[in-house]
Amino acid sequence: MATDGDKLITTDVQTSSTGRIERPDETVVASQQLDVYYGDEQALDDVSMEIPENKVTAIIGPSGCGKSTFLRCVNRMNDQIDACRIEGGLRFHGKDVYDDDVDPVALRRKIGMVFQKPNPFPKSIYDNVAYGLRVQGKADDVDLDDAVEEALRGAALWDEVKDQLDSSGLDLSGGQQQRLCIARAIATDPEVILMDEPTSALDPVAASKIEDLIADLVEEYTVLIVTHNMQQAARISDKTAVFLTGGELVEFDNTNKIFENPEHDRVEDYITGKFG
Amino acid sequence: MPRHDYQRQLERLRGNVLDMSELVVERLELALDALETGDEEVIERVVSGDDEINQLYLDLEQDCVDILALQQPVAGDLRFIAASFKIITDLERIADLATNLAGYARRIDVDPDAIAGLRSIGETTIEMVEAAMSAYARDDADTTYDVADRDDAVDERCEQASERIVRDLLERSAADTTEAILDEVSIHLLAIRDLERVGDHAVNIAARTLYMVESDDELIY
Repeated sequence: MATDGDKLITTDVQTSSTGRIERPDETVVASQQLDVYYGDEQALDDVSMEIPENKVTAIIGPSGCGKSTFLRCVNRMNDQIDACRIEGGLRFHGKDVYDDDVDPVALRRKIGMVFQKPNPFPKSIYDNVAYGLRVQGKADDVDLDDAVEEALRGAALWDEVKDQLDSSGLDLSGGQQQRLCIARAIATDPEVILMDEPTSALDPVAASKIEDLIADLVEEYTVLIVTHNMQQAARISDKTAVFLTGGELVEFDNTNKIFENPEHDRVEDYITGKFG
Repeated sequence: MPRHDYQRQLERLRGNVLDMSELVVERLELALDALETGDEEVIERVVSGDDEINQLYLDLEQDCVDILALQQPVAGDLRFIAASFKIITDLERIADLATNLAGYARRIDVDPDAIAGLRSIGETTIEMVEAAMSAYARDDADTTYDVADRDDAVDERCEQASERIVRDLLERSAADTTEAILDEVSIHLLAIRDLERVGDHAVNIAARTLYMVESDDELIY
């Protein structure tokens, strides 16, 4: 449940009796005619897309098509790139995340991120997971041990590490490190988890564990995943967005529709490997 | 175009399915000849040739499974594999029906008046199979509807032929034993039923082809 500390902005917003932000429909994140430029180069071109709640949405496309750029816009990771310029709308529960009154740090608590290469802190397994809660100042409000266990269970890692919580996170295998990063991401109780090729550095067994985990995560979270692996997108996602060269969102539909009967010939050619 | 080997596998499969259909149509034509002439050599060629068709079916089924497992086709390629997988089953069943028809020629002398009707219906169903396979070869959705449209007429002709054969045989065979009459009537009716089923399989092929080309399941029932 959201608390005051979870608010994205400093001004009041419409909230429900439970304290959560009102949701007019099932859309959690929506881009509207989104353009992104790196200097003079356009990375995203007029992208409009609605990300549904508690679903896995996959973004696929060839290298350089803008899929990671889109992902990083959602929680304003692109703020760190000076040459990056954004036009159009990108809303989280109806509130534009680029409004002046939005706190990017608060936004990233609600929209967590998992990267291609596992990046645990050089700390213990326990501290990796507890880190976000401590930074938020929640360590005094919650039973930290319980919160860490819950997050590790949520990331399907608890049974493997419960007897070595003081060991360094860096001592885990690659697949375990990635699940530790997922545990770290969900410890702060986000609503959306962004994943940027989260299994590309993992062996097939470790990757399949992450895929199983993603299927479990959507019970509580909305997952937006960028993947180069089209079969992975087909296996795990409910919706698929296909970006093609030039940062254009060519097709966005239910995953079975995309992989069985896409509307656009360019999408068909891409997913069947006829180009790209 | 990337994935050259994969594209070649798809085209090879399409070619092999078309080759199988030509073999099946040839057997069907021979079966009609066998009904007309009772030529044992022709009968044997159709009956013993069924093993060849069955093996071809198994080989092509394995080719489909291999492509699914190893290439993970999607979109139009996936529909092509799914359609091919179903179409080879229909072709194999048509070959079974051809074997049945040839086998009937061993059991009775087909009534000379009836054979003209059987051949006429049989040739129409062969045309339907060929048209359906032509649609499959050329990704031609329009022709699939033509094949489906022709099936109603085939059904009607089969019904009329059945009534006529029963009536004619009963009148002409008054001197024969009841057992002989029943045997002859039943064989003629089975032949008509098998030809009607060939038409149904042609429609199945057309339906799967329409699904393959346009992702449209309208003809699948």
